Amino acid sequence: MTRIVGEESPTETEVIRTRQRARARIMAWMLGAFVILLFFITIAKTGQNW
Amino acid sequence: MTSIPIVNHTSLAADWRDIFALTKPRVMSLVVFTALAGLLAAPVMPPFVIGFTAILCIALGAGACGALNQWYEADIDAKMRRTAKRPLPAGRMERGTALHFGVGLGVFSVLMMGVAANWLAATLLAVSILFYVIVYTMWLKPRTAQNIVIGGAAGAFPPLIGWVAATGEVAPLPLLLFAIIFLWTPPHFWALSLFIRSDYANAGIPMLPVVAGPGSTRRHIFFYSLPMAAAAVAPWLLGLTGAIYGVAALALSVMFVALTVPVLANRATEPTGMAPEKRLFGFSVIYLFALFGALVADRWLA
Repeated sequence: MTRIVGEESPTETEVIRTRQRARARIMAWMLGAFVILLFFITIAKTGQNW
Repeated sequence: MTSIPIVNHTSLAADWRDIFALTKPRVMSLVVFTALAGLLAAPVMPPFVIGFTAILCIALGAGACGALNQWYEADIDAKMRRTAKRPLPAGRMERGTALHFGVGLGVFSVLMMGVAANWLAATLLAVSILFYVIVYTMWLKPRTAQNIVIGGAAGAFPPLIGWVAATGEVAPLPLLLFAIIFLWTPPHFWALSLFIRSDYANAGIPMLPVVAGPGSTRRHIFFYSLPMAAAAVAPWLLGLTGAIYGVAALALSVMFVALTVPVLANRATEPTGMAPEKRLFGFSVIYLFALFGALVADRWLA
């Protein structure tokens, strides 16, 4: 399904933006979790000589 | 002349639920469980966060396999009732999105495993992903009826990787766990492929029931369940596990083999008459969960 930029209907554009926002929010949470996980991995590896 | 920028509508609109569905979450649950069992059965325990990350990486690796499998088989999935509603054949996502997601997830899981646990576990994870995608999905599955026999090795890696993530080395017990899943995969998949044979035939996949017929497949199921049962009991007989695992493995394997007998005797060619096959398929999933659960119970309770 290929479209030319700007040809989406207002409803379609809204759907696209909603989905983009949801994906961006999930990505932000996952990046945050990744940073925290990396922090604890570092603590574990340095603390127990792993 | 001004060029008109073309965008693909479906790739912009990919929903996160569809991206999640690419990872085949139901398959992932069995992978995570067997990997966790391999890790918990190991003689040494890594720090919690390392163990958690190792299992997470195995889950992400399995997700990458699912995404790359769906990327490669989108055309085949569209021809099968069971898979036609997946994001790619249903047209809810671009193939490129699945490819990029799968490759990214696979590379990330391997690197993360190397950094968090050890590079032997990371290497095994990389081998299992490449084996599943290249050897099984791309090479064996569309070419030979033995696809699931050799391809079963890909699904057998998780407990081995879990063990290696904890200990840093390969040992006889995780190799036997590998053998159990390797030998369990053919009867499990052949039972399924018997009652969805028409799906595979329509898609042109040379699964054993399509190529050799139901009778031959039923004999294969019975004869493959015997070495599987032997492999399941072997850790106990070799003194690598205790009685909890031994008794559970013996009881479960006897039940498994017993359920293959009605399958062997069945002559039905239509799914409606394949109750024994459906029963065996359902039990085969319970079998693996219970067997690996018993392994962990044996390690921690004995």
